[in-house]
Amino acid sequence: MVQISLPENSQIKKGKYFKDKTGSKNLRKVNVYRWDPSTGENPRIDTYEVDMDNCPSKVLDILNKIKNEIDPTIAYRRSCAHGVCGSCAMNMGGKNGLACTTPHAEIDGDIDIYPLPHLKVKKDLIGDLDGLYKQYQSIEPWLKSNSESSTQEIIQSKEDRAKLDGAYECIMCACCSTSCPSYWWNGDKYLGPAVLLQAYRWIVDSRDEERQARLKKVADELKLYRCHTILNCTSACPKGLNPAKAIAEIKKMLATASL
Amino acid sequence: MESKTPLSPHIQIYRWHISSLVSICHRITGIINIIVISLICIWASLLLFGESNYENINSFLNSLIGKFIVLGIAWSFSFQILSEIRHLIMDLGYGFELKTTKITGLIVIFGSILFTIIFYLIGKNFF
Repeated sequence: MVQISLPENSQIKKGKYFKDKTGSKNLRKVNVYRWDPSTGENPRIDTYEVDMDNCPSKVLDILNKIKNEIDPTIAYRRSCAHGVCGSCAMNMGGKNGLACTTPHAEIDGDIDIYPLPHLKVKKDLIGDLDGLYKQYQSIEPWLKSNSESSTQEIIQSKEDRAKLDGAYECIMCACCSTSCPSYWWNGDKYLGPAVLLQAYRWIVDSRDEERQARLKKVADELKLYRCHTILNCTSACPKGLNPAKAIAEIKKMLATASL
Repeated sequence: MESKTPLSPHIQIYRWHISSLVSICHRITGIINIIVISLICIWASLLLFGESNYENINSFLNSLIGKFIVLGIAWSFSFQILSEIRHLIMDLGYGFELKTTKITGLIVIFGSILFTIIFYLIGKNFF
């Protein structure tokens, strides 16, 4: 259901203000969403003044700097810091992306950092992605082959392999799904761009023998057709992939295939 | 504890893109158009109950507010038509590159304004 306003317990309050102690002239204000599950309080926005003279170029560097030098209580996920693991996906300057690959110079004015939109917050910038992972599991993202010769490798032509380009690179960071208004309102039923891109990846794999069954599975009004080509997903993807096009391709396959 | 978990902010903080703006306007104009078409039908059928009913609405539409509403309707239909063409092209699987969506989105926005002006000028010559 469409619910524009946030529930009572999710209303954001003004939080603490951390004044700069380094005496630097090159300061930027960083507003960070905070929520502590151990207190019964509402989420708040804490503001940090960060010395940009001694800060590397990415948003994750700012967060590390805050955690190391200003406020160690701040919680966020991060691991590889090279845009490969997808852990540090969050909303920065009103757009989803990976904190480790988003330059803070690209954000004008104060830097607003929120968790990925429309998720249950576990703590601070950490959102609960269980629902998304369950949906990912539901499309059965593994090769299904009924062939007798299961001991031999399955040969794939270069052309067939090329069909997977733009789909296999997905790191499941959830930037796209949580940027999608359709997924916000119908996240319980609509699979969302990330999972549909993976569904597409297995549908077009020439080695997979369950193509028809896979297509049938997503051919549900709410599972697939809740995509209204808003294209927030494509503009959010930190890997430059195009989930919207993949969904359109599935729609096209369903329109032309006889199931 | 579970029920206390807050929902992270979504539409309040997410920045608008041209494609998301066009998408939401497509829906709004769609709803407006359905209402407008019904109203036009009602207006036409009012003729059955006498000329004066028809004339009343006609004079209202020729007032300043009425003209503003008519222009709004012209824009709504122009936007819907252009945006629908954009959607049809997308349904064929074309125009999904970020740059293309931006350009086609801008064409829809400015094209709808241009169409509205053209409709207005055509109306001027007719009446």
